[in-house]
Amino acid sequence: MANMKFYCDAERCIECNACVTACKNANEVPWGVNRRRVVTIKDGEPGERSLSVACMHCSDAPCAAVCPVDCFYTTEDGIVLHDKDICIGCGYCFYACPFGAPQFPKAGAFASRGKMDKCTFCAGGPKETGSADEHRMYGANRIAEGKLPLCAEMCATKALLAGDADVVSEIYRKRIINRGASVLNWGVNYDKASLRAPRDMSGKASSEG
Amino acid sequence: MPLTSLRHTITQLTGLLLAGLLLFVAPTAFAGDTDPSSPIMVPNPGADLWRAVRQRDGVHLTGQTQVRGVETGVLITQTGEEFRNYRRNDFIGNAGLVIAAAAGVILLFYLIRGRMRIPGGRSGKRIKRFEDFDRTVHWLVAILFIFLALTGLILLFGRFIVLPVFGAEAFGLIASACKEGHNLFGPVFLVSLVLLFLRFVAKNLPARGDLKWLLKGGGMIGKGHVSAGYFNAGEKAWFWGVTVLGLTVSLTGLVLIFPILGQGREVMQLALIVHGLAAVLFIAGSFGHIYIGTLGMEGSLESMTTGYVDEHWAEAHHDRWYAEVKGLSDPTDTGTSDRAASGGLHPTPDKA
Repeated sequence: MANMKFYCDAERCIECNACVTACKNANEVPWGVNRRRVVTIKDGEPGERSLSVACMHCSDAPCAAVCPVDCFYTTEDGIVLHDKDICIGCGYCFYACPFGAPQFPKAGAFASRGKMDKCTFCAGGPKETGSADEHRMYGANRIAEGKLPLCAEMCATKALLAGDADVVSEIYRKRIINRGASVLNWGVNYDKASLRAPRDMSGKASSEG
Repeated sequence: MPLTSLRHTITQLTGLLLAGLLLFVAPTAFAGDTDPSSPIMVPNPGADLWRAVRQRDGVHLTGQTQVRGVETGVLITQTGEEFRNYRRNDFIGNAGLVIAAAAGVILLFYLIRGRMRIPGGRSGKRIKRFEDFDRTVHWLVAILFIFLALTGLILLFGRFIVLPVFGAEAFGLIASACKEGHNLFGPVFLVSLVLLFLRFVAKNLPARGDLKWLLKGGGMIGKGHVSAGYFNAGEKAWFWGVTVLGLTVSLTGLVLIFPILGQGREVMQLALIVHGLAAVLFIAGSFGHIYIGTLGMEGSLESMTTGYVDEHWAEAHHDRWYAEVKGLSDPTDTGTSDRAASGGLHPTPDKA
């Protein structure tokens, strides 16, 4: 019974878009559908940061709240999934989602919405696990194989973390300790602060094991 | 009781203490603000950035991304949560109440007043009221409206009413059909609405006597019938209501079903909210129109089904139009003596 979450470390993301490519490859999503995207803020300016964003698998998901057909459900692992056999492609989940996660293939005339598609945390969907139908409709089911989402597994700088919230936050907590407690090291902003090495490099949290 | 008063005293004392401390601390704190060498006073440089990403304090920071599309550079939108809260907490329940209340008022009115009979009974003579084209346009709008209202109501309340009865699978199918039908016939409704407007607008312009009709509540306040022309002020109000609400519903609907116009999520959230509000008012208003056109008033429905109305109906509800058709100069002339003699003045052939 895990509580699966993504976390993207803005100090590590280098905007390589490997997560986006890995996601598209693992799930074979159609053209125009991007379950994951990398957004760069302050592009080319001091303090530039990049973040990879997809469905955040909210504990209290707004998409599920506004869905007129109640097609969303949360798995035992805390992953928010939806049933495409029930989805009507109305777009309300897209209006409510803070992250812009729900995607709509341009299915009908004048690009009207088809059935919604979004990140499944590589956990497939409500079809039979490992079946061709599941793969066609929802993409990979790596969770059933004991693997984490491919986007996070592929991340070269380990900026994108995926897994149980406790584990992810523990990893991130250790990173923060290693970066030093000085506020000058909380996010490097080159126009306001200078980079300083932590005065005492000993006692790194990650060296504990 | 003593416990709460004690707590109250403690709160007050703490407040005073903090206020006193602030007097000493504040000057030094502000003085230190300008000194960047003090690590405590340097604000977290990331904080402003993440506040902007989070769209707090009205700052909307948009980034760059490889993914093409509308608003793909926005990491977090603030309005989605407001939209969700509005829809779930404010809209759906109140929409149901308004529609139920409108139906309740109509029912109550029927129980109190009953069916309005034609004064003096049917004369057996009929007057042409609506041309074939009038009726075609009316029923086109009416049928499309009923279809769109029903499918819209199923999409709005279905999750709470239909889904528990039929189950998720079956309701998914019903809702999918409703959505497709709603989106297909919505734009057709706009076309029919334009036809209706062009056909009837000349007869629905405000005219002499409309204000008096409204002040008398169409005859509900005071005694006797109120003088009216081809359309009374109530019908005119409904015509303009249909026009405004219909255009509002249609245009917001177009915003929602064609996501290729470059509109962002905030526009679509607003469009859906306005679409819902206008639709609920439209449906509630339609109850009154449907009631008075069918059950509420004898002789009304046949004007839209056959195109003809009974002379006594016309004289009672649209006396000035009746006088016009009969070639009388002034509606006040249509007394009892005229009614007896009206056979000779009959301008249109009686097809009864």
